[in-house]
Amino acid sequence: MRKFAVSVLSLTVLGAIGLSAVPAMAAGSQVTSMRRLTQEEYRNSIADIFGKEIEVRGAFEPTIRIAGLQSTSTGVLSVTPVGFESFSSMADSIAIQVVSEKQRAKLPCKPKSDKAPDDACSGQVLSQYGRLLFRRPLTSDEVKRAVKLSNGLAKSQNDFYAGLRYGLASLIQAPDFIFRSELAVPVGNKQYALDPYSRATRLSYLMWNSAPDGELLRAAEAGELNTADGLAKQVDRLMASPRLEVGMRAFFNDMLELDTFDTVSKDSILYPKWSSGIAASAKEETLRTAIDLSLHANGDMRDLMTTRKTFLNRALAADYQLPFGFKGDWMPYEFSADSGRSGVLTQVSMLSMFSHPGRSSPTKRGVALMDIFLCEPTPAPPANVDFSVVNDVNGSLKTVRERLMAHATNSTCASCHTHSDPIGLSLEHFDTIGGHRTTENGQSIDVSAAIQGKKFAGAEGLGKFLHDNPKYTSCMARKAYAYSRGENSEDVPASAFKAANKAFTDSGFRMRALLKAMVEDKDYFNAQPPETTAAPTKLAAQ
Amino acid sequence: MKIDRRFLLRGTCQGALAVMGMPFLDCFLDSKGKALAATGRPLPTRFNTFFFGLGLTKQLWIPKTGGKDYEMTGQLKPLEPYRAKLNVFSGLRVPLDDNPNFQHWSGAAAAATGISPTKQSEFDSKTIDQQIADVISHGTRFKSVSASAAGDPKQSYSSLGAANTLPAEASPLSLYTRLFGPGFQDPTKGDWKPDPQTMIQQSVLSAVADNRRDVMKNLGAADRARMEQYFTSVREAELQMAAQLQRPEIQAKVTIPEAPAEMVCNNALPNLRAVTPLMARLGALALATDQTRVFNLSVSEPGSQIFMPGDSLGYHQSTHEEPIDPVLGFQPRVAQYNVDTMELFAMLLKELDGVPEGDGTILDHSLVFAFTDQSFAKIHAVDGLPIFVAGGASGRMKAGHHVAGDSSPVSRVGLTIQKAMGVSLDVWGKGSMEIRQPYTDLLA
Repeated sequence: MRKFAVSVLSLTVLGAIGLSAVPAMAAGSQVTSMRRLTQEEYRNSIADIFGKEIEVRGAFEPTIRIAGLQSTSTGVLSVTPVGFESFSSMADSIAIQVVSEKQRAKLPCKPKSDKAPDDACSGQVLSQYGRLLFRRPLTSDEVKRAVKLSNGLAKSQNDFYAGLRYGLASLIQAPDFIFRSELAVPVGNKQYALDPYSRATRLSYLMWNSAPDGELLRAAEAGELNTADGLAKQVDRLMASPRLEVGMRAFFNDMLELDTFDTVSKDSILYPKWSSGIAASAKEETLRTAIDLSLHANGDMRDLMTTRKTFLNRALAADYQLPFGFKGDWMPYEFSADSGRSGVLTQVSMLSMFSHPGRSSPTKRGVALMDIFLCEPTPAPPANVDFSVVNDVNGSLKTVRERLMAHATNSTCASCHTHSDPIGLSLEHFDTIGGHRTTENGQSIDVSAAIQGKKFAGAEGLGKFLHDNPKYTSCMARKAYAYSRGENSEDVPASAFKAANKAFTDSGFRMRALLKAMVEDKDYFNAQPPETTAAPTKLAAQ
Repeated sequence: MKIDRRFLLRGTCQGALAVMGMPFLDCFLDSKGKALAATGRPLPTRFNTFFFGLGLTKQLWIPKTGGKDYEMTGQLKPLEPYRAKLNVFSGLRVPLDDNPNFQHWSGAAAAATGISPTKQSEFDSKTIDQQIADVISHGTRFKSVSASAAGDPKQSYSSLGAANTLPAEASPLSLYTRLFGPGFQDPTKGDWKPDPQTMIQQSVLSAVADNRRDVMKNLGAADRARMEQYFTSVREAELQMAAQLQRPEIQAKVTIPEAPAEMVCNNALPNLRAVTPLMARLGALALATDQTRVFNLSVSEPGSQIFMPGDSLGYHQSTHEEPIDPVLGFQPRVAQYNVDTMELFAMLLKELDGVPEGDGTILDHSLVFAFTDQSFAKIHAVDGLPIFVAGGASGRMKAGHHVAGDSSPVSRVGLTIQKAMGVSLDVWGKGSMEIRQPYTDLLA
């Protein structure tokens, strides 16, 4: 009996689909990218569209990291029932707030009566917000359906706003909002390029990590984003805004894998100073450093590897064993020249994220930093490996280095360990929570290392090595390009971001130069020709 | 023709919703204004999974003899109280065929799908809990619920296949809120009545689903599959709403507790010992009140990062780096962590067995499938994966056995479970793990 009820239910849904009209779209167009909004993109979009006072409460499905970036997974993941349940209830809770008595004065119109449906007003509200949510104008059918839903429920409840709530909620949980799609349209000569709204969307989420604003949508509508001058004007506007910080924080958070902190735990007996508060602060320290260098100082991004300038709050100062006499939350700080610190490499974030709960791990650090800063992933170790020697602290091998070296003399292990370990070993003067040390089990720690024949020592040596390594800067350009397009960073050909990387280099590695050159490149909005498949026709024939 | 009352709801109430106004509630209340009486249907059989990383120590967990009268081993001691309700499987093979041995993944994926995985961290099909949920979960509020005691939503081994992992609730409070927070109508209370909001939300979902055809246009194959998944999720939300209009028929006498406090959920063993029983209890209550019939609990990821404060290595590093004690012949610290995870497993069984229901307990009316990623973690071995199945499946599963190493593929357990759960299938698994012969001796 229950099964029967289920099939009737789906029939009802399918039956209704048959009634809907299909909006006109250029023949041969295809969605070439469809990315699920990240938690931050969703929150920022809602705040920008409906106001910062609207609370967004709910759980977001996790993303995963692909080729060094979480943004890549947004183009692969879908919405599971658990995820949709959350999107649906968040949409309703947002809509309730938007039509609440406190907020409704902000709506673009007032109904003729609060107690009855009003086609004109609900149509105006829904198409205005719908355009911002869907990042394009709604089709007339889309407006009609949302208005019909609102009016039906307004009538049954004798309340205009109660009805409007559901119309809005239906838009906020629609796939057109939850996924940001890029539509490629034919531009002649078998070439395809993104339509203007998709351009606006890509630009806006890159620069501001949020939905396009009214002005950007207007420029898209007017075709301005399809001309070099019009595009440059909008790019300059986006980059001149303080909101560029929001966009770049999202990029650095992803590139530097700072989300790893969400699952970091430390041994409370061995490291009682550690708390979850330190994790949040350490993440913020690194973001502040990256933003200060890239945007505030318009500095050389290579200095991210070497600068001793940072930002501290009380919790971090304790972790670094530094005095904190500052009145506010965060104070700028410069480590002393003899501190051994070198850029983000020696910040609590990088040192603690890629360590074990109770000890540092040169291998984990090496593998992570090679991937993050040099775009060089390390293959997984072979399955059957004897690591016992690495742990025998009672034997003759006192330091992690000695034990690791013994293990890495095994030829199957050596190829990878010589690749990733030197970076990690040079950071051994810092423990699993980022504290400074010079000995381990009573023996002084050797922090010398060599990569590709280049010898260096300690974190400062590593910082200098990366600073001077063109692979580091081109890796950053590669990640920025892949991040902005939701592509796999390992699959992106170097030719795709060649112009951007050149501008980056020519400018002395300024982040703004990289961004601007990247998005203004003549090929940036080009798309692969659509797959030739008959499936959409088949669907339409159902 | 007999007409299901939910059919009536869709047909007469939903359709007329826009004009009818509030009295639409009348159509599913009886003349006295009470929710319709229970139909006396038999209790549903529930399914649970328990995931623990890094396996056990061969010399210490495998009972010496097979069958019913085996001597309990040291590592299985924590499970002793549930011995009569437990089946222990040793010596299972995990043939990976031409696929690589994805460390800390291949074994877990094989156990959960009967398929040797082709990708790290992705299942090649729906996991067993979802395959079973497709059959047993009709009419419940949640098709399945997953929880991670270590506080990581990604520590879920419940998947719709490929990258579509169903995220786990990552704290007792979030698990509680999902199950018993807004939208929950307590079926143990006399004043149960459906929430009119539910029907309105159904019409919103219908409106969302109505755009399907437009949305599906112009999508390439991969994106079309992702969008289909989105609309499948919408349909599932519609079914969830429909289920909420019906009072669950329950027999257990339970009281829903107050919401738990915020707790630290991470890989530290003392925290896991506090969080695991709480999550298990909430899961048991969800099953007892028929909010869901499938509950998945994990205590770690594969390659468990569990650690005891003070031990700088932790569980996973220990499996690789702790030397084998030449006298004992095993890794002593690893062996202790093995027992620790069995204690966590026992906590789940305790809570399921602690809720009386009809002629037994929730555990008697359930199956619990406990699985792991490695048989010998030190070298990432998968053959001989320790597998446990607890519960009586409402009398359809015989328990109390040690099914000793007969070299069956691990998928044979999955097939047997599904037979006991009433899933109609003759073959399960792929490649060398394709299996047609369940453990018929265990099926009642």
